[in-house]
Amino acid sequence: MLSAKGFEAAFSYIQLFGEGLITTVTLSALTVIFGFMLALVLALMRMSNFRPLHFLDKPGCGRVVKVLSKFNPISLVANIYVEVFRATPLLVQLFIVYYILLAGVSLPAFKLFGIIRFERMIPGVIALSLNSGAYLSEIIRSGIQSIDGGQTEAARSLGMTQWHTMQYIVLPQAIKNILPAIANEFVTIIKESSICWTIGVQEVMFAVNSIKSATYFIGEPLIIAACVYFCLTFPTSKIIAYFERRMSRGDKR
Amino acid sequence: MATSDKLIQVKNLKKYYNKGALHALDDVSVDINRGDVMVVIGPSGSGKSTLLRSLNLLEVPTDGEIIFHGIDITKKTFTNKEGKTEKVNINLHRQKMGMVFQHFNLFPHKTILDNMTLAPIKVLGMDQKEAEEKAMALLKRVGLEDRAGAYPIQLSGGQKQRIAIVRALMMEPEVMLFDEPTSALDPEMVGEVLEVMKELARDGMTMVVVTHEMGFAREVGNRVLFMADGQLLEQGTPEEIFSTPKHHRLQDFLAKVL
Ligand SMILES: Nc1ncnc2c1ncn2[C@@H]1O[C@H](COP(=O)(O)OP(=O)(O)OP(=O)(O)O)[C@@H](O)[C@H]1O
Ligand SMILES: [Mg+2]
Repeated sequence: MLSAKGFEAAFSYIQLFGEGLITTVTLSALTVIFGFMLALVLALMRMSNFRPLHFLDKPGCGRVVKVLSKFNPISLVANIYVEVFRATPLLVQLFIVYYILLAGVSLPAFKLFGIIRFERMIPGVIALSLNSGAYLSEIIRSGIQSIDGGQTEAARSLGMTQWHTMQYIVLPQAIKNILPAIANEFVTIIKESSICWTIGVQEVMFAVNSIKSATYFIGEPLIIAACVYFCLTFPTSKIIAYFERRMSRGDKR
Repeated sequence: MATSDKLIQVKNLKKYYNKGALHALDDVSVDINRGDVMVVIGPSGSGKSTLLRSLNLLEVPTDGEIIFHGIDITKKTFTNKEGKTEKVNINLHRQKMGMVFQHFNLFPHKTILDNMTLAPIKVLGMDQKEAEEKAMALLKRVGLEDRAGAYPIQLSGGQKQRIAIVRALMMEPEVMLFDEPTSALDPEMVGEVLEVMKELARDGMTMVVVTHEMGFAREVGNRVLFMADGQLLEQGTPEEIFSTPKHHRLQDFLAKVL
C-alpha cells in the first residue's frame, strides 16, 4: 500500500534520485556512443564482400563448391555476433561481462562528477554497448542500404575508392537518415540501463533499492522512479519525433 | 587510323545476366578514337547502358577486353613496360573517364561547390583553394557561378545535369561517358544540357553518348552505333546511319523514332 508517509520518507532521499538520474543519463549516453561505433564496424563487416574462396566459382562447378565460393568469414563473424546478442537476455550478458569477462580486471576506482563509481559503471557501459551495438548495426545497415546506388556509382566514377565513397558519400547520408532511429535506441537504452543496479551502478533503480533498505518503503520510491524515467524518455521521444517530421519535410522541398 | 588515336578498344565484350540466359552484351567490339563523339542508339534493353557502364567497369563484363592506355582494365593484373606484373588500379582509370548519369546523381548533402571539389581534393590531392577556383571557372562556363553555395535540391533538373557534367570535368577526364543525360529532364531543359555537351564536343572532348536525341546524334556525333539485343548491328557516320540505314532492325527503329 502506498502512503503519504512513504512518499515523505522517499522524498527525503530525493538527492539519491538526482544522482541516479545523472548516472542513468551518463550510462545511456556512453552506451549510445560506444554502441554506435561498434555497430558501424559490425555493419561494415556484414556488408563486406571479402570472399577468399571466390576463385573456386567456375562455370559448371558443383553446388557445394558454389556455396563455398561465397564463404565470407568477416560477415559470418559479425552475423554470429549480432544473432547471439539479440537472442540472449541483456541481464545474462551483463552478468557475464561483470562476473566473468572483467572478473580479474581491477578498474581504477574513482568517482565521476563526484557521484558515479567509475569501476561499477564501466562493466555496465560495456555490456549495454555490446548489446545495443548488435541492434544498432541492423539500423545502420538498413540506413546504408537505403542510399541510392547511383550515389556510389557517381563517386566511384570520379575515381574515389570504395572506402572514401563510404566515408564521404554514403555514411553521412545514411547516418542523417537513421538519426531518429538512433535517438530512439537512446530512449530504449535509458530504460534498459535500469538493470545495471544489479551490479551496483548507482542509477535510478539503485536509488530505489537504497531507499527501500533505509526506510522499508518500496512502492513509493518505485512510483517516483517510474516518474523520473517517464520525465526523461517521454520528452526525448517527442523531441525526436519533432525533428523527424521536420527533417522529412526538408527532404521533400 | 593510327593506333595512337585509339583511346579505348573494346574487344569481344560480353555481359551475361541470369546465369547466361540473358545476353545484355553479345560480343561487342568497337574502337573509340580520340576526339570521337560517338553516339549510341537502339531500342530499350538493347544493352546501350551496359556497354557504356562497362567502359569504366561500373558493370563487370563476363568476358572480353577493354583496352585503355594499353591496359586491359577488365583484368586484375597487367604486365608493365619492365615486364613486371602489376595490379590494375581501376580508380586510376576511372579518373580519366568522366561519367554523366540519367538521374544526375549529385551528392545531396553537399553544396554544388563541394560536389565539384570533393573528388579532386580527395583523389588527386588538389588543394582546396585551387579546386575551388577551378570549380568556379567551370561554373562560370555553364552559367551557374551564382549557385556555388546551393544544394542540389535547390536546382532544376537542367541545372543539376550541367553541374554533373562540370563535376566530371573537374577531374580532367580524357573521355566523357553520357548515359541518356537528357531523358529525365522536362522538355524545356533539354536544350541547355545539350548546349553544354555541344560545346564540349567543339572543344575536342572525346565523348560516348547514349541518347534518344536523334537531332544531337546527327548534328554533333561523328559516329553512330546502333545496338539491338546486346549486339552492335550497324555503325557509321550520322549520314550513313540516318540516310542510308542498311540493317532492317535499324530501319524499323528509325521509322519509330524519327
Ligand atoms: N543488373 C541486371 N540484372 C539483370 N538484367 C539486367 C541488369 N542490368 C541490365 N539487365 C538487362 O540487360 C539488358 C540490357 O540493359 P541495358 O540497361 O543495357 O539496356 P539499354 O539499352 O540501356 O536500355 P534503355 O534504353 O531502357 O536504358 C536488358 O534486357 C536488361 O533488362
Ligand atoms: Mg539505358
